[in-house]
Order: sequence, then structure tokens, then C-alpha cells
Amino acid sequence: MIPAKRPILDQDLALLQDNILRMGSMVESMTEKAVRALKERKVELAREVRAEEKVVDQLRLDVEEAGIRTIATQQPLASDLRKIIAATHMAVELERMADYANGIAKIVIRSIDEPLLKPLIDIPRMQFIVCGMTHRALDAYVKEDANLARAVQAEDDEVDELYKQILRELVSYMSEDARTISRAMNLLFVAHNLERLGDRATNLCERVVYAVTGQLHEPKPKKSSIATLG
Amino acid sequence: MQSNIISRKRNAKIGQAIMFASTAFALIALVALLLNVLNRSFGNVIVRREIEPSVLSPTPLEQLSRDELNALVKRIADSDDYDGLTRGAYRRLDSEKPFAERSQAEILTVINERLIKEEVVASFTLWQTLFEPASVNAELAKLNNARKAGMPEARVEFRSWVNARFFTQTMGSVAELSGIRTAILGSLAVIAMTMAIALPIGVGAAIYLEEYAKKNRLNDLIQTNITNLAGVPSIIYGMLGLFVFVRALESFTSGAVFGIAGNNGRTILSAGLTMALLVLPIIIINAQEAIRAVPNSLRQASYGLGATQWETIRDHVMPAALPGILTGTILAMSRAMGETAPMVVVGASTFIVSDPTGPFSKFTTLPIQIYNWTAQPDEQFRNIAAAAILVLLIILLSLNMIAILLRNKMRNTN
Amino acid sequence: MLAENASIFYGAFRAVADVTLPVHERQITAIIGPSGCGKSTLLRAFNRMNDLVQSARVEGKILLDGDNIYAPDVDAVAVRRRVGMVFQRPNPFPKPIYDNVAYGVRLGNPRIPKPELDAIVEQSLRGAALWDEVKDKLKESGTALSGGQQQRLCIARAIAVQPDVLLMDEPCSALDPIATIKIEELMQTLKERYTIMIVTHNMQQAARASDYTVMMMMRPDRAGEMIEFDQTEQIFTNPRDKRTEDYVSGRFG
Repeated sequence: MIPAKRPILDQDLALLQDNILRMGSMVESMTEKAVRALKERKVELAREVRAEEKVVDQLRLDVEEAGIRTIATQQPLASDLRKIIAATHMAVELERMADYANGIAKIVIRSIDEPLLKPLIDIPRMQFIVCGMTHRALDAYVKEDANLARAVQAEDDEVDELYKQILRELVSYMSEDARTISRAMNLLFVAHNLERLGDRATNLCERVVYAVTGQLHEPKPKKSSIATLG
Repeated sequence: MQSNIISRKRNAKIGQAIMFASTAFALIALVALLLNVLNRSFGNVIVRREIEPSVLSPTPLEQLSRDELNALVKRIADSDDYDGLTRGAYRRLDSEKPFAERSQAEILTVINERLIKEEVVASFTLWQTLFEPASVNAELAKLNNARKAGMPEARVEFRSWVNARFFTQTMGSVAELSGIRTAILGSLAVIAMTMAIALPIGVGAAIYLEEYAKKNRLNDLIQTNITNLAGVPSIIYGMLGLFVFVRALESFTSGAVFGIAGNNGRTILSAGLTMALLVLPIIIINAQEAIRAVPNSLRQASYGLGATQWETIRDHVMPAALPGILTGTILAMSRAMGETAPMVVVGASTFIVSDPTGPFSKFTTLPIQIYNWTAQPDEQFRNIAAAAILVLLIILLSLNMIAILLRNKMRNTN
Repeated sequence: MLAENASIFYGAFRAVADVTLPVHERQITAIIGPSGCGKSTLLRAFNRMNDLVQSARVEGKILLDGDNIYAPDVDAVAVRRRVGMVFQRPNPFPKPIYDNVAYGVRLGNPRIPKPELDAIVEQSLRGAALWDEVKDKLKESGTALSGGQQQRLCIARAIAVQPDVLLMDEPCSALDPIATIKIEELMQTLKERYTIMIVTHNMQQAARASDYTVMMMMRPDRAGEMIEFDQTEQIFTNPRDKRTEDYVSGRFG
């Protein structure tokens, strides 16, 4: 007996995965570029991010369409079905993540004429962690490694902590000098977007766990403290 | 509700009983027939000889060589002691065929016919032999008391009427010296002729009707008629054969047109043609069944590959239908083997001692032979008739057996 | 191939009405529709298998490379050698596997040298993804194979005569899901060389395995008609005709 292979389905699944990975790496680089644009005051980098966001939007539609087509024509079941459902969810998440990076880029463009309120330390750190999470989440997706995905989810706590720290710091700036409010608010939005990016990265991980194990409801390790702040 | 089931079950039981009774009746009839035939085919006989062989020679005659037998015959003739073989008789026989050229068996025959004159004077059924030995002994005693002086005593022997001689001898006026060789050879020749004619025509017609004929009124009519022909009494075919083949086509069936003179139309060819007509519907119907049983998917597969209709029939339909066609053919053969009436009408010879030599020979067949023998007054002819019936039955049963085996083989391969 | 206003009649009864259908080369076109809508009848019109039914007749045109296969000077046997067929139930000849494949080739070329025939048989069996399974038992009867293998043997037999088009009439309806997937998989490789048309009552199969889909339906006068023809994914995600929508979503009738 030669094993049956289903070449079309396999091809469709591979294409889907490629697109997710492409979106993921774009989101990573967009986030990195947006924060670098902020830090180095480079408006052209921010403009690149804005252009890339449109590509990601398009990719998301492509993934969704391909997913629907595959479900309609190939009747995937079991792990194949989960992979497709997970991929379409991940595409939506990634598209939102691209929106957040885009949001940072917008702030950069808007505030390019103003000097930075303070040297940036925690924000690049947040960006570094978030990009790492996104990268590893996609790693877990490719390797179908649920444990890696769960480990990535845990890293979000650090992002949340950093966000809280930045929040406190900026609040103290603003309460000292009302003229800093608008610049502080910009930084606060940037931090907020990075925090959201971290949350979305954990969502990616949830989808990876689902695709691999079929488990949608994971017992949460601990309650996220962000709910009150977000 | 409950009572309904009970009555339905009772009805079922009654039906079952009726069917069982029918089967049992058929079986009993068959066994009775077989027993009757067996009863007459074997049994004790009373044999009377005019001279005991031991008187002629101290060693048994069968053990003597040809030359020793020759010397014995010469000595007996020279002594002129026996009326059966006087010196004059010896000379006459020698001039017919010199004794020096005769074989051992031939010389033995002369001794038997002329001197020993062994003869069955009374025969008994198997039943009498086994369960009424007293009647046999009484008859023996009666015969021995009545014998002429100087004659050896009659003896009781067990005899199987089906024996080697029975198969090798031709017809004769003495029952125990008669055999069925001519009849069997005649039957085989007629069957061979029948099949040679009926098989190609029958199969051809079946292929035409199943594969080529379009569905229309004419073909429906032909089909209906073929089915009906299978039910026409065989005597009708005999009449047809007599008028058409024996009389109207005499110059052909007697071989006159081929330069064979001195025959009339009552030949193997006429018989074969008549029988071919008789079995044609059987062969056609069976071949049609067999062809119809070939799955259509096979034909489609062939057409789908771009085969023509003839290629499809030749390569797929015929091979698949062959076992079925053969089954039908064998059934037709056994029918032809057992037919008597048309043979009587067409003119099988009632007494013939020469083997058939070709399509234009006179002939007789086994059923005709049996028919003749049963009409003879002599008791022993009834014994050999029974023996011939036994042979015929065995041939028919084996033919049917082959048909069944072929059919099973066909079922297994499909 | 191209059907132009093709109607198929059995006697006075019109079984298929006015089908105009472009069959894309080296693509798989599936014909779907409820039972009795004339799917198989239409398919059989493409290699004149309907000719075997005495009363069948075709009006309109069916073109193969621009030539009407129903033109008076065209021989149905010649058409069938260019348009092969695989049937609903696997129907290998009760002959050795080798002879099954070689049969059509020998018909066309009775004096073909043995090595050449050997090569064609091997190539065809490889083409039908069957070679590895049967290479050691080419002398065994084709009917001794499993259902799925028999059907692949039938495909090998059909491609051995190197047709341009391969018609498949519900080729998987007698097979189990694994054998079915294998046949579908095989179709994907076959379409690199052959134009394939497949009738299936299994919508999922049409969805999985075909590039184009024809949706047929029975009219009130019981003639089958083509109600939609489009790319398969279009038919299964966004059909234009409400009846197609109802049928593919299982809400028919």
C-alpha cells in the first residue's frame, strides 16, 4: 500500500503557513522599525511601516480567502481543519498587530518635529520583548510546538510590568509639568500599542496550542493584570 | 395475532411436506429404474456346453499358444471324432482363411463355436441370484435331467452382462455373443456430426441474436420461435429429417454427388443433420443465456478502449461465455445421445454389424439397439438390453456431470 | 473539447438539453448534480459511448480539436481511442494484468514488438501509480486485485493507448475513502498530460479534485440541463445560481 497523500490539501496548507510566516516577519520588522523611527527620529522609516501595513492587510484577506476555499473544496478534518482555522485567526491577530505598529508609526510622523520627552530605554526594551515573543510564537507555529507556545505566553507578564512602569513614569512627568502632557501622551500611546502587541502575541500562541493540541480552553497560569489598565 | 402465526406456520409445514413428498417420489422412481436395470444387468446364468474343454486338451485352451491350438484343431479334424469339426469342415474353414494365418483368439472362437458350443440356456435376475437360489437350482436340475446322454452337465455361473466382450462385439443373433460396439460407434459418429453442424450454427445464431440483432418485431418473432422449437416433439424432427434429408436431398446425403454409389439417404449425415435441427434450439438458447450473463461492464470496457464490436465479441464476450456455451452444448449432446424416435424415422439400421466408416455409412445408435433388443423374444436379449441401458445411463450421467463441473468452474472464475 | 448546444436523445426522450460546455485542456472538469440529471449521459456523449444504445442520438456538436466527433465521416471507434473512459465499477478484463494494459495497444498495433509493448505497459502502470504494487505479478488476473487497484488498472489500461481526454464516470463510487483519495491524487498527476472529465455524485470529490465544475439539474420535462459552469472554488464558495447554492450546501429539494 502506498500512502495516500492529498497533494492539493498539502499544498494549500503550505501556502497558508507561508503567508502567516510572511505576515509574522513583517509585523516583527514593522514593530522594530516603528520604535527605531521613534527613537532615531527617522520619518522615512515610519512611512515604510505605513506602507507595509497595507501589504499585511492584503495578506490577511488572502489567508482568509484561501482558508475558506480550502475548507470548501478540500474538506479538511482533524488537524488539517485546526490548522486552517488557527491560521485564519492568526491572520486576524497579525493584522491587528500590524495596526498597532502602524499606530506607532503614525505617532512618529505626527510628532516628528517635537523633541523626545526623554531618552528611550523601556520602550525599546518592550519592543525587543514583543518582537521576540512574536518570533517565537511563529517558531512554535512552524514547529507545532505547544510547549514553546506556552512558554512564550508567560513572557507577556514582563511586557505588562514594563508598561506599568512606563505609565507611572510618564504620569509623574505630566504631573510635574503640564507642557509635557502631549509628548508624554504620545509616548504613552506607543507603550500602550506595544503592550497590546504583547497581548496579541500571546493570542497567537493560544492559536498555536489549539492547532497542535485541539485545546481551546487553556487553564490560564494567572489572571492578567492588564484588564484594568487596557 | 397469535393464532394467525400458528395457522401460517401450519400452512408452511404443509407446503414443506408436499414438496418433500414430491422430491421423495422422484427419487424413488429414479432408484426403481436404476434397480430394475441393475437387476437385469447382472445375475446367474445356466451355461450348457456340448463338450467340456478338458476333454479336448488337458491344459486349459486359453493357455495354449497359437501353434498348439492349430495343432489341436488339426488333430481333432483328422480324427473325425466330432461332428462339429469334420475333415471337410476344416478344409472349408481353411479355405476361407488359412488356419496358419488365424490368431489365437480366432482359433479359440472356432473351437467354441464348432465344438464346445457354450450356450446360455437360462438367465436369472440379480434378485433371484441373491435371494432365490432355490429357483436357480431347480432350473439347473430340470435341465440336467433333460440333457442328452453324453453331454456334460450344465453349470451355474455368475455373469455380468456388461463386460469387455459386450463393448467389443457387434450385433449378433445370439444374445451372449452380441455387443454394442457398432451402436456406440454409431452414436458417437452421429453426435460428432450433430455437434459439427449444430455448434457453429447455434453459437453463431446466439451471437447474432444477442449482440447484433436490433430490437424489433422480426427479431422478437425469431426469438419466440426458437424458444418454441425447443419444445417441439422429437418425432416431428424425425419426419422433417426423413422428408428433407433422407428423401429430398438423398443424392447429397447418400454421398452420390460425391461419387459414392450404392447408398440410400439413411446415413450418418442425414441423422446428424436431423439431430442438429433438434438440438439447435437448445444450443442457441443456452448460448444466449451464457452471452447475456457476460457482464455489460466488460463490453463497455472494451468499447471504451476503442475496440470494434467484433473485437469485443471475439476477445471478451466469447471467452467469458464459453463455459456456459459448453454446458449447453453438453446438455444438447446428452439429449441427442438419448433420442430414439427421430432415429427410427430417419432410418437407423436395426441390424448392422459393420462399424461406421464415414458420413455416408449406415449406422445404428445405442437407443435403437436397446429398442431392438427389448423387442426380441429371447430372455437373454433382455439382459443385454439392460446392460446397454446401463451403459447409456452412465454415458448420460457423465455428460451431465461434466456440464455441472464446467458450470461450477465458470461460477468460480467470475 | 467543446460541446456546442449538444442535446442527447433516447428515442423521443430528451435526456440532456442544449449543453454548451468548454472543457479546458489539461484541467479537471467535474460534472455534478442530482441523480438522473444526465451527468453520465453527457459524459458518455464525449466519446460516443451512447452510440451503444440503439435509440440514442446527439444533436448539436461536440468538438475535439475543432472537429465534430458526431460528423458523419467520423468513426466512433476512432473517437474512443482518443477519448478514453474509466467506469463506475472497476471492470478489468478477466485476464492477466499485463494483457489488461496491453489490450488496447495491441488493437491499434497488432505487430508491436514485445519490448516496446513491455515499455508501454510499465509506463502506463507507473502512470496509474500501480507499478510498484503489481510489477511482480503481471501474469496474475486483473480481477484478483483490490477494488482500488482494479480501478487504477482500468486507468492504466485507458492511458496505455495515449488518449487526449480521459472520461471518468463516478470512478470512486465503489471504492473506500483511502482508495478514493488515491485516485483523486492520481488525477492530479494525470492532468499534466490529459484533459480529464469526471462525473461524480460526491460533491466533496468534485470540490477536492477538480478545477472546473459543471452543475447539472433536471428540468421539469426531465431533460438534464447545465445550470452553472465555473471554476470549482467559485461553485463551492460563491455559486451564482440559487439551485447550485442549494445543492452544494445540501439543501436541495
